[in-house]
Amino acid sequence: MKSDEARPSGLVDVAAQAFQLLREVKDYAIYLLDPNGIVLTWNEGAHAIKGYTAAEIVGRHFSTFFTPEDRVDGRPERLLDVARTKGRVEDHAWRLRKDGTRLWANVVITAIHGDDGELQGFAKVTRDLTERRIADEMLRQSEERSRLLVEGVKDYAIFMLDPDGYVLTWNAGAQRIKGYSADEIIGQHFSLFYPPELNGLGHPARELEIARSVGRYEEEGIRVRKSGERFWASVVISAVYEPGTDQLRGFAKVTRDLTERRKAEEAMRSASEQIDLERLRTEEVRSALKARDEFISVAAHELRTPLAALLLKIQSAQVLAGKQSMNNDGSFAKLSERLAGAVAQIGRLSDLVQRLLDVSGIVAGRLTLRLEPTSLSELTHRVVDDFRDAAATVGCEITLTAQGAGEGQWDAARVEQILNNLIANAIKYGRGRPVDVRLEENAESVRLFVRDQGIGIRKEDTERIFDRFERAASVEQYSGLGLGLYITKTIVESHGGLIRVASAPGQGSMFIVELPRLPSTRPADHASSGRRAL
Amino acid sequence: MNGGDCPSFVLVVDDDTDLRETLTEILLDNEYQVVGAANGQEALDFLRGARDRPCVILLDLMMPIMDGRTFRAELMKEPRLSGIPVIILSAHTNMDEVLADMEVHAKLRKPVEIAPLLALVDRHCKDVAAPSQS
Repeated sequence: MKSDEARPSGLVDVAAQAFQLLREVKDYAIYLLDPNGIVLTWNEGAHAIKGYTAAEIVGRHFSTFFTPEDRVDGRPERLLDVARTKGRVEDHAWRLRKDGTRLWANVVITAIHGDDGELQGFAKVTRDLTERRIADEMLRQSEERSRLLVEGVKDYAIFMLDPDGYVLTWNAGAQRIKGYSADEIIGQHFSLFYPPELNGLGHPARELEIARSVGRYEEEGIRVRKSGERFWASVVISAVYEPGTDQLRGFAKVTRDLTERRKAEEAMRSASEQIDLERLRTEEVRSALKARDEFISVAAHELRTPLAALLLKIQSAQVLAGKQSMNNDGSFAKLSERLAGAVAQIGRLSDLVQRLLDVSGIVAGRLTLRLEPTSLSELTHRVVDDFRDAAATVGCEITLTAQGAGEGQWDAARVEQILNNLIANAIKYGRGRPVDVRLEENAESVRLFVRDQGIGIRKEDTERIFDRFERAASVEQYSGLGLGLYITKTIVESHGGLIRVASAPGQGSMFIVELPRLPSTRPADHASSGRRAL
Repeated sequence: MNGGDCPSFVLVVDDDTDLRETLTEILLDNEYQVVGAANGQEALDFLRGARDRPCVILLDLMMPIMDGRTFRAELMKEPRLSGIPVIILSAHTNMDEVLADMEVHAKLRKPVEIAPLLALVDRHCKDVAAPSQS
């Protein structure tokens, strides 16, 4: 202030100085409106914030600063009305700059009255809070996102406790796991989630104490749902502090339901126990089978000695009866005949015992082959001849077709067993119809076909019949141990051969054995085959 | 023991009394002298003490005290006895394997038929020396 003339009074002078200061304020837009809202003055801050020079804006209505929506809405007039009636109005809202960009403004409008109480106009102070607004908005959005994220998590119960342990927030996972809705639980104490015995020990309070002192508490333990059901939970409690201070705001609690995991672990454990049990059972079965085979072996062996004595006794009786029948009325001849019958029965008994021994030997892996040049044709002729009488008694005719000698390196006694078993079966199950035995050969192997026209075998039984103690025919109608085909198959396979059956119920069966001329799969023990009894 | 003073007789070595007696019976029927022994040791003791040698030994394999295999091995050690023919009577299924390294003159699997048994005994006894008549 430099002018000496027309010096206003002291007060006016101060006001003028203040006004001048206000004009120079840069951070606030400070200006006056007339009672109708027309801009009367303009300061540097207003220029900086709104972009207009004093020349451009003085004389224009202040609604120029409002967004089109607010103008349509009558917001400028409404603000003036409030200021007029209440003396002051504050507004936080978007305003427009001269260039059309928006600014987030904090506006205070104060009514100015004259000494007579007449409204003289309005003082308007505007602050540009755009940057703070953006920062706030970002923070809000980020908090919102975190909140939504937490709220949406279903697999974890995530919630806040106040410093005393009362529930402040609740998420979807918490609702799912604990069973309470947010309305039900917010404001309740978190000890509700613990079983009575843990509450009795003051466990919840101790958890918070530990979290408070070391920042974090973690455990796995039993918790209780709203329904009262108990579950196995993993719990983490973290102390939450006011940022930048050591003021405890509360606790963040994350709870996971481990029931499923525990179930899975238990299932796994029980499965593995099951496997151990199975293994044990399998071993038991295996050792039981072994014991059975040993028993069969010993029993069959033991049976042989009395059988030997019996056979000899009866045969010697036969000899005596034979001698006596020469000079007798015929009763000794009858005796001879009956003794012969007894001998035949002993023969059958011996065969059965032999089969049992064969089988127990095969099971124990004692089947050793003595390979020697063998003619399958010769063997087959002999066996077929041996069976002719037996076949004739049931009215069955056996025919043999063989080209060539059918020679190979085989165990003749074992191959004879194959023939015996297959031909005996064909007669046994052949219903008295013809049995055809045929041999074919090529460079590598010889094939044996044994065909009957008997009862046949169902398809589902064709694999089973080669197993031990298995038989397709009923035990009531057909006797036997069910070992013949098992022994046959074992012998064939130990020669590196194959055995197959083609059959249908009522259509008879055809067994096909293929023996390679030079067995390769299980080389036999040649070393011991040379020695023969003198 | 059934005595054994005669120059030609059969030694039956089997632990099963019934079978041993049946074999004895049959051989006696066929005019052989017979000596029975219940195991290898008994048979060996008899042979070592006896003046005469049997024309053949019918030998079981599985016996208590001394089995057939050991008996045969002991016999082979004594020149006076090693030449006696031995016929094995056994219930062994895999007799061929069991006997692979044993020197024997014949083997019969139990149960034994009377005819082949007598034929074998005849071959060893009748050819060597006429059986003594009691």
